[in-house]
Amino acid sequence: MVTAQNQKLLTGNAAAAWGARLAAIDYVPAFPITPQTEIIETLARWFDAGEMQGKFVTLDSEHSMVMAAGAAAAAGVRVFTATSSQGLVYAMEALYTISGWRVPLVLVNVSRALASPITLGPDHNDVLAARDAGFVQLHCESCQEVLDTVLMAYRIAEDERVSAPVLVNFDGFFLSFTREPVEIPDAEAVRAFLPRFEAKYPTFRASQPLAQGAAVLDGATYTYFRYQLHHALRNALEVHQQAADEFEAHFGRRYGPVETYRLEDADTVLVMAGAFASKGKAAVNRWREQGRNVGLLRLRMVRPLPDRELVAALVGRRAVGVIDQNLSPGLGGILFHEIAGVLAAEENRPAVLRSFVGGLGGKDISSAEFDHVLATLDGAKTGSADPELLFTDAEWRQMQQRLAVAGKSLEAATP
Amino acid sequence: MRPDHELTLMLRIRFHGRGGQGVKTASRILDTAAFASGFQVQDSPVYGAERRGAAVAAYVRIDSGPILERGVIDRPDLIVIGDETLLADGGAGVLVGQQAASAVFVNAPTAQLAAKLETAARLVTLDITERTLRLLGKASALSSGLAAAAARLIGEIPLEQLESAVKSELAELSLAEETIERNVALAREVFQALPAIEFRPATGERPAEQAKVVRLAYDPPLRSAPTILAPGNAAQRKTGDWRVERPAIDYERCTRCGLCFVACPDAAITLDEKGYPVIDYEHCKGCMICREQCPLEAIETEKETRSW
Repeated sequence: MVTAQNQKLLTGNAAAAWGARLAAIDYVPAFPITPQTEIIETLARWFDAGEMQGKFVTLDSEHSMVMAAGAAAAAGVRVFTATSSQGLVYAMEALYTISGWRVPLVLVNVSRALASPITLGPDHNDVLAARDAGFVQLHCESCQEVLDTVLMAYRIAEDERVSAPVLVNFDGFFLSFTREPVEIPDAEAVRAFLPRFEAKYPTFRASQPLAQGAAVLDGATYTYFRYQLHHALRNALEVHQQAADEFEAHFGRRYGPVETYRLEDADTVLVMAGAFASKGKAAVNRWREQGRNVGLLRLRMVRPLPDRELVAALVGRRAVGVIDQNLSPGLGGILFHEIAGVLAAEENRPAVLRSFVGGLGGKDISSAEFDHVLATLDGAKTGSADPELLFTDAEWRQMQQRLAVAGKSLEAATP
Repeated sequence: MRPDHELTLMLRIRFHGRGGQGVKTASRILDTAAFASGFQVQDSPVYGAERRGAAVAAYVRIDSGPILERGVIDRPDLIVIGDETLLADGGAGVLVGQQAASAVFVNAPTAQLAAKLETAARLVTLDITERTLRLLGKASALSSGLAAAAARLIGEIPLEQLESAVKSELAELSLAEETIERNVALAREVFQALPAIEFRPATGERPAEQAKVVRLAYDPPLRSAPTILAPGNAAQRKTGDWRVERPAIDYERCTRCGLCFVACPDAAITLDEKGYPVIDYEHCKGCMICREQCPLEAIETEKETRSW
């Protein structure tokens, strides 16, 4: 159904596929995995119907798929691919390998929690496992942002100041299968924002031999190339900014490396990433109605880490609570530690910086849990790296029943 | 189009049914109709790794402004239950949060349910299955009827928008023109058979949350490793009401070859003392693999038009 604003109801998966279609990609290596499969099904249908030109190939695994994606990009064509969860970590070796080739492409990851135990619901341990792989990493909150970010991602990946792959992440179920109104940009306008791809690096051509991904076998040479990749990703901060400016000029929507929500006069700030930031905003609105000065910072760009923007938004606040939808067992929330690292050198850093872990494996973060986060921040005089693991009494009662069904004794009931 | 008024509260609608009944499509039809009526909308289905017949749910949110909620609706304004047998399945949680709901709709032939069903919400029933059978020739294609019931009850969606949403959503599924027209007729009939009801704004102001955050302490691995120490406990999960089709063994022709016993993926076929296969209908999901396997075609298919 199309309205006057040319909006259509799209799932996050359909929005990702539209992004790839409008980017006029040349090559899609594909492998199915829930909750991402609808992306490649949609693209396969469009290729089959002749609505997209190029090559769609199914591979035998995500490892092969990412290698094929890198190899195609090394041949100078525009490449799109997508995976999720176990697929992403299965491809981990290939992720590091092709980013080292300095070839641009876009990989969409639809977040789903990692085994074990196996589940289908989302959290961010899959995508954060890839945070050191040399990909720019962008996290989306809405279906519209998914489509728009895929388009911006090509601009960033293909810029010669970057020339590295970009990973666009969004949450399984909460975005992948959720339909929202999405404006599908006009193809001509997209072409003006994102012209046809012309590789600015040596590419494989018939009768023009070159070696890619060569062994170097000495530390200094290796280090030179890895430092270059680091510089490339740092450059993505500026390139993202320019892409955001131009995207806004063309389409009227703007995406920064961080999104600030009602931060103006906030003494207390929540930090979140992904689709549940919407729920965080709803909590902020609720607290604001109660007269509380609370705001939210959504981390959209995880790599490169937008340290300047984080400092600008968080320094001077009384309390900051980072809600991580991931858990590094033995450490806690991953983003908390990254943000604490950025703020460590700041003289006027928040007196209270606290870590919360919630929303793992598709678990809800209820308003009661948001209220608990705020109460904890209110009551705290100092910061702490010790994570609060969010879990409700109702969930605990359900867990006890499930343990009983599994034949486990009810003694040692913890809370 | 623009609605002539703003909603005073976000409407949260939760659909329940079984895989294959069209619950996800129902949520999409409602959502598309609400969007075309000028509202902001969001729809999302939830399902696990299970198949046709398993409990599924779908959520629709409708508001005049941006929707800052995601995922599960634990305090619905309207619950739409496509399959009354789900009321007996505690695991399906079809009445979770009904204290906040203004109405619970059940696809059921009579209002006899009212006595059985403890709910503070207004209970509305209509036999959509009968209408679906009559108009579409099968019991399980409930999507248009369920969407129409929800659209009518919330009272914000004109019939024309509902009909055009039925057409566009079913066209997306590549259904034949004639089937789509009959679905439109089904939607119209259900829409006209129900009243619009008043939604009380109580759900807009959420009452004080009762949930509390608890601290989880370490449990020894005997408990905390994801192991199952109760072998055979899958039998506690009665999956017989998932069936759309029911296999029936013709014992006159059965030669006791045992192929159905071997092939049943759910071990729902056992052999009696004489070696004849016996189907455990409490657990048979109606996959009909036994029928495919039987070399003598001695297993018949019976329609479970009212199995659930």
